[in-house]
Amino acid sequence: MSNPFREDLVSRNLAEACSVVIFGATGDLTHRKLIPALYNLAGDGELPAGVQILGFARRDWSDEFFREGLEKQNRKVSRTGHDDEIWECLAASIHYHQSEFQDEDGYRRLAERLDEIDRERGEKGNRLFYIASAPEFFDDILLNLKKAGLSQDRPDGEGCWSRVIVEKPFGTTLATAQHLNEVVNGTFQEKDTYRIDHYLGKETAQNIMVLRFANAIFEPMWNKEHIDHIQITCAEHLGMEGGRGGYYDKAGALRDMVQNHLLQLLSLVAMEPPTDLTADGVRDEKVKVIRSLRQWDTPELVAENVIRGQYLAGNINGEEVPGYCAEDRVNPESETEAYVALRCMVDTWRWSGVPFYVRMGKRLPKKATEISIHFKETPSVLFNAMPGGVPAGNVLVIRIQPDEGISLRMNSKLPGTTLRMEPVKMDFHYASSFGTSSPEAYERLLLDAMAGDATLFARRDEVEEAWRFIDNIENVWHESDNSPPMAEFPAGSWGPREADELLAKDGRTWRRL
Amino acid sequence: MSDVISTEGLGMPVEVGAIDGELKKLWEADEASTNASLMNFLVYTEDPKQLIKNSETIQKLTRANSCRAVLIAMDREAKKSSLQAWITAHCHLAHGKKSICAEQISFLLSGYSMGRLRNTVFAHLNSDLPLVFWWQGDFSDLFEERLYRLLDRLIFDSASWRDPKASFRRLVEAREETKGEIVTQDLSWTRSYFYRLAVARLFDDPKAQKSFPKLEEVKIKAHPDHRMAALLLLSWVITRSGWKVESGQGDEWTASSEEGNPITINLEWDEDAAPLAELSMSAPGCKVRISREKENLHLCQSVCVDGHCVDLSGPADSDDPEGLVASQLSRGGKNSLYLHVLPRFRELLEMGG
Repeated sequence: MSNPFREDLVSRNLAEACSVVIFGATGDLTHRKLIPALYNLAGDGELPAGVQILGFARRDWSDEFFREGLEKQNRKVSRTGHDDEIWECLAASIHYHQSEFQDEDGYRRLAERLDEIDRERGEKGNRLFYIASAPEFFDDILLNLKKAGLSQDRPDGEGCWSRVIVEKPFGTTLATAQHLNEVVNGTFQEKDTYRIDHYLGKETAQNIMVLRFANAIFEPMWNKEHIDHIQITCAEHLGMEGGRGGYYDKAGALRDMVQNHLLQLLSLVAMEPPTDLTADGVRDEKVKVIRSLRQWDTPELVAENVIRGQYLAGNINGEEVPGYCAEDRVNPESETEAYVALRCMVDTWRWSGVPFYVRMGKRLPKKATEISIHFKETPSVLFNAMPGGVPAGNVLVIRIQPDEGISLRMNSKLPGTTLRMEPVKMDFHYASSFGTSSPEAYERLLLDAMAGDATLFARRDEVEEAWRFIDNIENVWHESDNSPPMAEFPAGSWGPREADELLAKDGRTWRRL
Repeated sequence: MSDVISTEGLGMPVEVGAIDGELKKLWEADEASTNASLMNFLVYTEDPKQLIKNSETIQKLTRANSCRAVLIAMDREAKKSSLQAWITAHCHLAHGKKSICAEQISFLLSGYSMGRLRNTVFAHLNSDLPLVFWWQGDFSDLFEERLYRLLDRLIFDSASWRDPKASFRRLVEAREETKGEIVTQDLSWTRSYFYRLAVARLFDDPKAQKSFPKLEEVKIKAHPDHRMAALLLLSWVITRSGWKVESGQGDEWTASSEEGNPITINLEWDEDAAPLAELSMSAPGCKVRISREKENLHLCQSVCVDGHCVDLSGPADSDDPEGLVASQLSRGGKNSLYLHVLPRFRELLEMGG
């Protein structure tokens, strides 16, 4: 039977009570993101009654020690502050389970413990496994979950489920992603698999579909007839602090950010209207975009369309910073890119001939992620026929972070007796207009996984198609005899000159952020 | 009424005809501020002493709800007709940096004149933005068709009504006349939001759900000033459960479930309690209980089924009208559930609840 009190109460799928098992529970992600997200959901009354949280990791910690560390961190980072009363309730449902990831017996004990918790609490046995460990343990964890009988819906359970959330990186190449997908799909059903991309949980990323499909003025213009080109920028001012060089030097900007976050944003901007808002309805359209990306698979095409770079020593916010190869845990001879700029072509009827310029870089002047839609110029008559034409084309900017919002640039007459025009900006800031803070991406995504709503998670074919595109470029860079050279730029600048030239040869420039 | 009221805090007095010009000057004088507005927010009272308090409320509300605020106080008992106006801006730092401001126009209307309220509202709206109207107190004869046709959202607090039956009747008529286009928001209903969420949350438990058809007792304890909130919450429970109220006397009713099982319903009043202090629902082997200590920010929630108990804590609704308005504005929506519950609520009200 259904719950009669739920009807009309909230307009979202219902999150169900479950045991959340976090692998890699002693790590940064658990402390800084996952537990604060669960805490905020509890504080907002959104966490279903009966949710139990079980941290799984190698260190020999007790429940108490684990909770103390989580509480300490939650006090520092929680979006809504820390309330002892809420924490006490949540902490009572947090447990720690010590085991090596490869230890089969640890999973058998985990199964027993979960059963015991279910018995104690009278729960039916829903399980949500969150794999937040280092990627080299993904296979072990998944296979051991299967061996312990934890990965499938229990035959004796009344409609109970087992789901898995897999953190990035989801593979490092197409082959490894396919292998991981084989392992995941051999363990969990695809419908129970949630490949997380926290960018999709961000408020403005979700707003892209609303902006496009809930406003009549945009969609008729959202095509090659009216749009000149689109830019997607993800700029970071940080370098390799906190030991992240070890991971990053193996991945690089293309794999770390473009394969997942930026191609997801691109697909949201370029997709056709879905037939409905179901998970597969939306993801069917997104994957068509990724599949329609023209492949850059020869040294010539890569040289023409992709720029990779590394930063040299420079200055950011008045501080001297080292060059990429001199960073902590980075190979001094590294051939890994800390900057990448691409021209992407989406070969669909809607986007034929419209370039999507995507760039991502470390040690750029500031932290900002945005999508800018550059509209075509007005016809060469009236104002545009005058000397100098109109000062600038219309640009619609969707700011993803920080300072989430939307702005529109248009031209306006300067006051006075002569006809002079200047660009002006209509600007909408989430923070100014909606004073309440948005939920963290992980809050929304955890709740969605508990509710069985995979709309904001990547599907297998999306991940693999994205890797196919990325792999072609990586193969040219690393396996071709005449791979394009690594460009360089001083830290604190807006990237290498070659990236500017990528647009200049099309008669365009990067948007100044 | 007609006492001299303090207008300090309302800002700069202005001629009514010069309001737009003076607002422009206000913004030009301060280059560091951003004027943000997502709606026209009107607050109307027939108690002029509330004008200052309403201005303070707007100061708090605009932290999270950018708007053009228009405060109107009507002194209907004044013999002489007059209209005074003031302008000011409420500014807040967004994330400790930019100063975000919302403008406020205040009016004090004296003497009775039909149509003046409506015309004052019409003349000072920010075009294209939704109109949210907070009517304080009972609906008077000034709550008329040409005014409420204009509203996008009507906020009121039935707890403040001296004659709830009459005002609810007026509200239902207004909705019928406008073919249900006004979104109505009763703050007494908002007061029970987290209670309703908690009930739903606790009955998500499959075992509690199984016990639902066997429920045999419902108790609500509330502060006597919040009778409307308690009755609305009760009406929601009854409506959602599909129960039929068979009989009632005072604060006790007997209902029957769809299966024909009898349910006893009790309302209790406590002067020292929170507005909504407790809701408990019992069936054999199952008890769902939600409670709140006075002024506590959380609801204690528990569900016990067959000896297994889960205790939870969740947020509670604000005690202040401005807090309730703010949470309602942040939630939006058409509030269709309230309209669904309203007929049953009016039935209980007419039965003397």
